[in-house]
Amino acid sequence: MKKNIFQSAIILSAIAMIGSGCKKWATENLSLAVPVVQVAQPISDAAPLCGAIKGTMLADKTYTINCDVTVNAGDTLFIQPGAHVNVKNKAGLFVLGSLISLGTQADPIWITVDSLQKLKNDAPNQDPSKDPAFSGGWAGIYCGSSCPMLILKWTHVEFGGSGLSITQGALVNQSSGTAFSILFQNSKGIFVMEDSWLYGGVDDPIRISNGKICFMRSTFEKAGIKGGDCLNCKGGTVGDMAYNLFVGVATNGQKASNKGQPVGAQQTNINMWNNTFISCGYRQIQTGRGANINFEEGARGMAYNNLMVNCKFGLRIVNNPAADTANIRYGNNFEYADSLVAANQIYPTNASLSGGWTKPQPTDIPDYTKFLPTSYQPGDTYDGSSVVQKNNPLFYNFPLPVPGNVPLYGIQAVAKYDFRLQAGSPAIGKGYTGLVPIGAVPIDPKYGVTEMTLPGIDIGAFQSNGKGNQHSN
Amino acid sequence: MKLIFTLTVCFISLSVFSQTIKGKVTDSKTGEPLVGASVQVEGGKTKLITTVNLDGSYTFRNLAAGKYELKIKFVGYSTTKEFSVVLKNDHDNAVQNMEMKEESMQLAEVRVTGKGGKESDAAVRGLEKNAEILENVLSQKTIQLLPDITVANALQRVSGVSIERSSSGEGRYAIIRGMDERYNNTLVNGIKIPSPDAKYRYVPMDMFPSDMLERLEVIKSLTPSMEADAVGGTMNLVMKSAPQRFIFNANLGTGFSTLFSQSRPFSEFQHSAVNTKSPAEISGNSYVATQADFSKGNLNFTNQDLPLNATAGLTIGGRVMKNKLGIILSASYQNIFRGSNSDLLVPNAQPQVVGTLNNQSVISDLYLRKYSTQTTRWGLHNKFDYVINSSNKISLYNMYVHMNEFQTRSTYDSVYLNKLSDNYMRSRTQLQSIYSSTLQGDHTLSDLFRLNWIASFSIAKSDVPDMAEYDYQSAVTPGSFIVQKNSRIWQHNTDQDVSGYLNMFYTPKIAGTPVEFNFGGMYRNKTRDNYYNPYSLSPVLTGGLPQYWTNYNNAVYNFSPAGNGAGSITTTNPNTYTSHEDVAAGYLQMKFMLTKKLQILGGARIENTQQGFNTIMPESFAGRYGTVSYTDLLPSVHLKYALTNKQNIRLSYFRSVVRPDFYEIIPTQIIGELFDIKGNDSLKHSQADNIDLRYELFPGGADQLLIGAFYKNIQNPIEYSIVRNGGPSAQFLEPENFGNAVNYGIEMVFTKYFGMFGVSANYTYTKSEITTTKQYFYRDAVLGITSKLVSQTRPLQGQADHIGNLSLLYKNPKIGLDIQVAFVYTGQRIAQVSPYYNLDYYQLGQGILDFSFEKTFGRHFSFYGKVNNLTNTPSRTVILQAPPAGNQFPDQAFSDKTVVGKDIYQINILGGFRYKF
Repeated sequence: MKKNIFQSAIILSAIAMIGSGCKKWATENLSLAVPVVQVAQPISDAAPLCGAIKGTMLADKTYTINCDVTVNAGDTLFIQPGAHVNVKNKAGLFVLGSLISLGTQADPIWITVDSLQKLKNDAPNQDPSKDPAFSGGWAGIYCGSSCPMLILKWTHVEFGGSGLSITQGALVNQSSGTAFSILFQNSKGIFVMEDSWLYGGVDDPIRISNGKICFMRSTFEKAGIKGGDCLNCKGGTVGDMAYNLFVGVATNGQKASNKGQPVGAQQTNINMWNNTFISCGYRQIQTGRGANINFEEGARGMAYNNLMVNCKFGLRIVNNPAADTANIRYGNNFEYADSLVAANQIYPTNASLSGGWTKPQPTDIPDYTKFLPTSYQPGDTYDGSSVVQKNNPLFYNFPLPVPGNVPLYGIQAVAKYDFRLQAGSPAIGKGYTGLVPIGAVPIDPKYGVTEMTLPGIDIGAFQSNGKGNQHSN
Repeated sequence: MKLIFTLTVCFISLSVFSQTIKGKVTDSKTGEPLVGASVQVEGGKTKLITTVNLDGSYTFRNLAAGKYELKIKFVGYSTTKEFSVVLKNDHDNAVQNMEMKEESMQLAEVRVTGKGGKESDAAVRGLEKNAEILENVLSQKTIQLLPDITVANALQRVSGVSIERSSSGEGRYAIIRGMDERYNNTLVNGIKIPSPDAKYRYVPMDMFPSDMLERLEVIKSLTPSMEADAVGGTMNLVMKSAPQRFIFNANLGTGFSTLFSQSRPFSEFQHSAVNTKSPAEISGNSYVATQADFSKGNLNFTNQDLPLNATAGLTIGGRVMKNKLGIILSASYQNIFRGSNSDLLVPNAQPQVVGTLNNQSVISDLYLRKYSTQTTRWGLHNKFDYVINSSNKISLYNMYVHMNEFQTRSTYDSVYLNKLSDNYMRSRTQLQSIYSSTLQGDHTLSDLFRLNWIASFSIAKSDVPDMAEYDYQSAVTPGSFIVQKNSRIWQHNTDQDVSGYLNMFYTPKIAGTPVEFNFGGMYRNKTRDNYYNPYSLSPVLTGGLPQYWTNYNNAVYNFSPAGNGAGSITTTNPNTYTSHEDVAAGYLQMKFMLTKKLQILGGARIENTQQGFNTIMPESFAGRYGTVSYTDLLPSVHLKYALTNKQNIRLSYFRSVVRPDFYEIIPTQIIGELFDIKGNDSLKHSQADNIDLRYELFPGGADQLLIGAFYKNIQNPIEYSIVRNGGPSAQFLEPENFGNAVNYGIEMVFTKYFGMFGVSANYTYTKSEITTTKQYFYRDAVLGITSKLVSQTRPLQGQADHIGNLSLLYKNPKIGLDIQVAFVYTGQRIAQVSPYYNLDYYQLGQGILDFSFEKTFGRHFSFYGKVNNLTNTPSRTVILQAPPAGNQFPDQAFSDKTVVGKDIYQINILGGFRYKF
């Protein structure tokens, strides 16, 4: 019986992919071929930047942004490898044109607040109300609805979310006090974040009101102080999220919702595969919220090969307002829990007020047939004691159970940890590789995603063959 | 004693004699019955006194044969002559009608406009009959007997008028002939007053205690001399003016609402703990507020089982200096505790596709709300009129009304299918006032030429200091809770009018017929400012985890990020703005009798409007300030054909305007209740063509029969539609012009007295249509779940097809007892227009039954009682969508619609004494 369901699920997913995914993959490539990009002009680092800018920030130079900087509609700001941007005075980068930040593995780009960077403390169990990560050092990167392209490759974005002034908010149609680190809001525009890092933040670190997106092999730490979804996608967002690493994010790591969908826009549809989530969802003041992956209100998509360790909740498919459950596929997800409390929410329960309605899948690890009662219905309370501290995924350097007296919520940053899988990890070889990306953005070294890493055979963001997330220590 | 004596005499006489004297007592000039006048019959040993009935009649029965003298006494009147009657033999019935003269007619030959004495039903019938325009009038006597104590509630008794209620069940706004408050204006003694409302022009009608009024006029057709911004109608509150004789009236009352009891007490907070100024107002916008800056006392609540209401009123007036100076002073006070229990099913902000069903409203929360509202109203007014000589008169009028509302709102928010609950407590204080001062002069320059000028200053204010709310949410462990957000909002606004009016009357004879030319103008300068300062605190994570709730005083909050506590962030929002409006108007109208029976009044008005605004938005913002101006030419013509001296047929046409509200043309996004609202700088004002036809019969006394029809065509009506500008998840509503709307209907009024019994009924049928754009969610083969804009035709918001009133009256002047049972019905109507297709909120039809009485004791005292909502009728709101299968929603009673709101107000009881000198 279960086998039949599994087979039907695969067949259905395959049909769905052939019917929609593959077809779109091809057409999107063609239609997005001609971004208008300005001729590069060198930007001087001699004086602090302020006001409208365009052109190119040069490699390995250090720039200071003293007051709000805008990239006007039609203009483009390029950032070359190794450039270091220090933002002061709670200024922001307001992008009404395009921002293309092209770092390299050897020479990444930094957009940060130097004074706060010096105070970074990533030892476990920091008090969030004192941690500089959450203090909101600068406004962030705010794209207007006219922004056609936001590309971040090998780029660090840190300490955003200072809360917009009215002047800042007026530039991008946001109310004062809004405290995202990055905002994208053009359903026809593309937003690529590839091999990049996001550190700290106040509210949603990355808010995608709508757009065509691709988040590949990036790392997110200490995202959101007491609430805020790390990648918060609203109505009309389409794309892929894969090989990302989330450590200690406030609420959800990856959230897909169709709320606020523009008239005539596409349904929110996001495929999520091979992501790793560590200790996520604890800094949320509302009960029942906070997971690693969340599908909500009318959103569809897929979730395969994700590795979730010590999170507040497991994969959460919300039933009121319901996600588009008929069109969501998931499986091959791996859950590990140090504590009974976490183990009891691998499948979120009604009793925990989560509103989750996740259906156990035969490919899930651990095998749900071993600990769920046969009468189990989604949302039921169950006894997860038999899976506590079982199936240790065997990270390179992240001992499990978490040693010392560090509570699960005390793990907030990557620090010295290494989330690659040791040989013999039960996550190796358990992935599903049949998933086809949505491919909403073009493949391009500058104006799209450089490498769309397809689903891997190992569960999680780090593959034994060296593919996937490249941010290991 | 006298009463008993009279009754006894009548009783004893009953078995012996059967002769009768009866007749009517009327005003010698107007023919109005003089209800309440005392008639004395004297002959031989018999001396009897009776009182004139509502229809003007009096009767003496069972008199012996013989000669009788009749004497009449009535305040302000003198007998025209003495009457005598001779009853010859058994079963002789004599009819003796008697007329009386109004004394003031003899005293001065000056025209005393707006003099006292128009407070009776019969008098206002005369006003309605003789008016040049279509109007319905409630007299002071009618208002006094009504079960209502505010003007808003009294308005619902007027033909064609229904009311919108506030959260405590008190009427607040009037809907006239299906046109909601946007389409109506409010005058005091004919002068427009500004509104204390934060967003709108229209005036909350519950600010006015009804005992301040001499009469309440609802004017349904406009002449060129009137302000042109009304389509539904103009509400004119005519305040008491100086009487001919000294008066001293006082009343004192108390009562309660049966809503409150030990199990459902009235919840209150410490009023003195409300900080009148925000941290930014105290310490400047650069100051960064923290939790320590906010008072805790206004979020600590205590209970009262059964708070008692208090009402009081005082009026003193008269004429001095040989009747040249008329003075009236009037004060009114009400302190009323009301409330409601409200169940509210809250749909998710956007409709969903559920299986194969498109555009489904999905319920996400159930709010169980309890409102406890203490409303304190103060009204003061005075009027001085000075008759300089027979040709010149000036008057000064001052009015100040003040309403304080202290409201506790508790909300238990159960999130459906989730067992998650939030518990909110909110305290809200609102202080509103309107001050209006008018200086007026009337001058007769010659036999043909008359002039009237008015200078007026008015200011309306609203202050909502520190509206505070906290929330705690159920934790996973049953019975324990987690601290949630805490909001504090300061908001205030003022609206000030300075205006001048000049009206001239020139009445020459043209071709032997007197023609009244009336021309003049008006200029008004309005300035308005709004301040809005919201603070949003969130709980500090203690030890990295959420805080458990114990009580508000123990909860620890901060701003996130900390800088969001600065006034430079909180006060800078688009709800803070100033605007101004200058309206200049000129008109010319003429009135003459075309034939002996056909009166024509016609002319035109020109109104020029200059409206402007200034926001706090930065230079980069398009439309941070702006002005708009336009000129309207507004013709009108009113024909009145007198079929007989008791019957009229009227036909009228007028063109009128409706101006957008101040914030509606400001292109910023302001915070709304359910949705944010973004102003629209290309919004046009609305214009309307109005046609009325009415048949009137005034058979005498307070009786009347009116049958009328109306048709309105509104161009560029302003309605709200959903807009998403490029897709921030926050959607917002935008006021837009939507082609044309039509509104038509028929109206009937019937009042008839049968001796001591009276029936008063009115019924209005209204039909309106407007087509607007709405969003519709569906599943598309390519896009998946998506939405499109579709057109939907619907009635105007607030328009009920059927509204009506039925009152049964018993008035026995002999024993001084008045009783009224009043039933008001409002049919199903749109309570709230949804931005989504087919998901408008409808309020179901409802009938409310009220009761009141007044009984006099002796000459000066009376006792009165008013009982509202005898049947405890709930107000129910529905959406026209079947409830989902297997739902556990409360209050469901239909298979084809979902009850999303149910408000219960219970019964309000008031009783008191009145003293009249």
